[in-house]
Amino acid sequence: MSIKNQNTIFNFRQYAFKQFKHNKPAYVSLYILAILAFVAICAPILANEKPLYIKYKGESFFPAFSFKNNYYITDAKGDTTKIQLDITEWKQMQFEKVIWAPVPYTPGKSDRLNSDYKSPGGEQKFRDATGNIVSMPARFRHRLGTGSRGEDLLAGLIHGARISLTIGFISMTIATIIGLLLGAMAGYFGDNKLVTTRGRFWTVVLGIIIGWFYAFQVRQFNLQDALKTSSSAIIVQLMLSIVILTGIILAFALLGKLIGKLPLLNKQVNIPVDAMVSRTVEIFHSMPTFILILTIAAIARPSLTNIMIIIGLTSWTGIARLTRAEFLRLRNLEYIQAARALGYSEYKIILKHALPNGIAPALVSIAFGIASAILIESSLSFLGIGVPADVVTWGSLVNDGREKYSAWWLVIFPGLAIFITVTVYNLIGEGLRDALDPKQKK
Amino acid sequence: MGKYLLKRILFFIPTLIVISLLAFVISINAPGDPLDRMVTAQDSSGESNSQSGNTAKEKERWRKKLGLDLPVFYFSITNIATPDTLYKIYDDNERNSLKRLINEHGNWEQISEWNNALHQLQQTLSNLKPDSLQFAQYGKNEVLDNIIEAKQNVSVLLYAWDNKQIQNKINELNSFAQSFSYFSAATADITNASNKYKAIIASPSKIKTLIPTINFYRYNQYHRWIFGDAGNKNGDDNARCRGLIRGDFGYSYETKLPVGNVIGERIRWSLFFTLISVVLAYIISLPIGIKAAANKNSVFDKTSSVVLFILYAMPTFWVATILLMTFANTEALNLFPASGIQPITGISEGSSWLEKIKMQLPYLVLPIIAYTYAQLAFLSRITRVSMLEVIGQDYIRTARSKGLSEQKVIYKHAFRNALLPIITIFSNIFPLAIGGSVILETIFTIPGMGQQIFHAILTKDYPVIIDVFTLTGVLTLIGYLVADIFYAIADPRISYSSK
Repeated sequence: MSIKNQNTIFNFRQYAFKQFKHNKPAYVSLYILAILAFVAICAPILANEKPLYIKYKGESFFPAFSFKNNYYITDAKGDTTKIQLDITEWKQMQFEKVIWAPVPYTPGKSDRLNSDYKSPGGEQKFRDATGNIVSMPARFRHRLGTGSRGEDLLAGLIHGARISLTIGFISMTIATIIGLLLGAMAGYFGDNKLVTTRGRFWTVVLGIIIGWFYAFQVRQFNLQDALKTSSSAIIVQLMLSIVILTGIILAFALLGKLIGKLPLLNKQVNIPVDAMVSRTVEIFHSMPTFILILTIAAIARPSLTNIMIIIGLTSWTGIARLTRAEFLRLRNLEYIQAARALGYSEYKIILKHALPNGIAPALVSIAFGIASAILIESSLSFLGIGVPADVVTWGSLVNDGREKYSAWWLVIFPGLAIFITVTVYNLIGEGLRDALDPKQKK
Repeated sequence: MGKYLLKRILFFIPTLIVISLLAFVISINAPGDPLDRMVTAQDSSGESNSQSGNTAKEKERWRKKLGLDLPVFYFSITNIATPDTLYKIYDDNERNSLKRLINEHGNWEQISEWNNALHQLQQTLSNLKPDSLQFAQYGKNEVLDNIIEAKQNVSVLLYAWDNKQIQNKINELNSFAQSFSYFSAATADITNASNKYKAIIASPSKIKTLIPTINFYRYNQYHRWIFGDAGNKNGDDNARCRGLIRGDFGYSYETKLPVGNVIGERIRWSLFFTLISVVLAYIISLPIGIKAAANKNSVFDKTSSVVLFILYAMPTFWVATILLMTFANTEALNLFPASGIQPITGISEGSSWLEKIKMQLPYLVLPIIAYTYAQLAFLSRITRVSMLEVIGQDYIRTARSKGLSEQKVIYKHAFRNALLPIITIFSNIFPLAIGGSVILETIFTIPGMGQQIFHAILTKDYPVIIDVFTLTGVLTLIGYLVADIFYAIADPRISYSSK
């Protein structure tokens, strides 16, 4: 036995990753996810009817990356030509040099020549630069076919990946923040570890009500007006409200410290954090989530942001439950006891010492949560509820396919995309569960 | 056992309260004025003028009927400048402008006088009758136009809170009063109103808007929605509401009829498909899961695992669409009808139940497959996992070493213990099935609750949406209760008498 071996400290993170690598399907899924993420991030470059680069009348442009909508090109004679980016028929222009996006179509844009469901292998038409209608050149083929108005399916799929992955990511970020916080508090404090005085407790409760009054009731019209002006105004006003709220609560908490010293009010009380969180989780768990999301989406203005927030706010229970269980275990471990004995504040222990070690079980739940968020979003957009009508998503593509069953490509390909993404996340979730489970240690 | 069940039912009460509160908050925030929905649609055949006396009366009637003349909730936290009877002003815009004025100046007495003065002015202006002499002097059209403009100015003032805008409109009114003799009857009112506004500006007490207060209301919209009018002596007898707990679900915007009538009919189909598919899923998945676990790592185990995993990740709506595409498509296999639950011609009255089943069955096959498959995959996987856990236990090894047959070990010793997680899953499956029904009922056009809520969303029929949401919440809780009862039967270890 060499000295080096003796000194190797058992590192759970490295060990878990090794376990994860042994799980072939999960490991492969990680690669597929990376490809999906690449497609999602680069979607505007991968599928765009505007060329990535053109050289026109001696000048170079990058239409796909441009924020301007108009190009003014003055040639040697002094004539100015105007190119309006969003309505130009790019494929009929003659450029000196041009680099097309890999899929030279924008999702949802109609192609009149190939309307009414052209199949991937069937005949497609193309109007060339001279205005003649010819058979489709290989470069511009709709490789996965078209929809009723001639929209390119592949372009829709590429941009759909962007939407699905964003929804999964952001909604689960919201859910994770809520779930981790509540779960950690419930597990760490339990029902009898968070002790305070009667006076302080009620002062803080009063502080929350009063803080709410000054932050949101008094300022309701500032917030309402901000809602009508711009999103940055909303954020500023909302932040101001939150600052007022926290400020007042903190002030009352300090005041409570003093009040807690008075006779009668200095009696110690337990705050049953665990019971409160567990009841909340149960209530959320026994709610028909999909119908709730559907109901809210029906009443709110259709927008992807709303959907992300709604999904996030309703799917934190699994994460909270797992984190709670992990923290129940953690709080009795020696290093936490040691930290407590050293006199660290409870919040420092939770955030700095317990959370990094207690986050692992939540990862499994997050992976499955992303999968189900993607499923929920695609179901909503399939039904056409809550998602703006002009946004092309995988679910809305399948819905288009329902209009005409002979257009099998419109049903099969987007469905496959959803299926693959969901499977990938599920496999990663399973892989994580196995890798993080100490029972399966070999 | 009875005591345990009672405890469980009591435990559902907080959940029910939260669900009802959520539904209520959502319905309060639904855009648009319910009265406009109720009244304009009804009058669409007649005159379109929404301000006609008839419409106003009709609106007042619906306002009482829908309980919109009540405060919103049991309590409200406001500032002391706001009166606790502000809810009585029904017009949303007018109430909003009053709130803004209160927020700006804090002197409700002056503000309410200003509001009264405006209403009086409005009254005077509509009673204004210029005589023929004035018509001759100024021209008939011009006179009428000016009066209309003055009325519009007052309407704008009722909704306004911006100081500049109010001053402008008051100045305009004043100039009308000064320049045209036919306004003479209204001159006093106009001066009165403008004085009242000056009074608001002159005596602001902004500090009042910073002092919180809490108002309590015994009878309110939420209370009425849940419990009805019982006990509320002020209520109108013609507009009695019995409340949700007595089965009064309110009125649909779309049909103007009680929602309960529609839902009762529809809930049958949803329950039918949900229950059949849950039972089917259990019947099919248990043997698969047990067999896979008993022969771990066998070919059967591996293939079934892969197939079920794939099934699990397929979106319901996709599978349903593919089913229709393949089996109900005239260009592919046209085995089943594509939509509905019975022949369009209907089933004749005299036919026996056997004939009825024979005629309906083709319509039910595809939906049942679609309903069942998602739960199937989920259930089999859970069964396999929990069986594997049990099979690893010591007492199973003991049973084997006693020489019991494998059959007996698996079905008698292992399965009963593996049942518990499988039962718990029932409570997960039930809400899943109900949620899924929205998609499946829409795809297969089954006249159930799911299709109802979809239709309601498209037509913005908020009362129906809210009621269906509340009802599915209750159904989900019942699902939990059933799971609890099964749990109690399956596990004799748990003692329910004392806890």
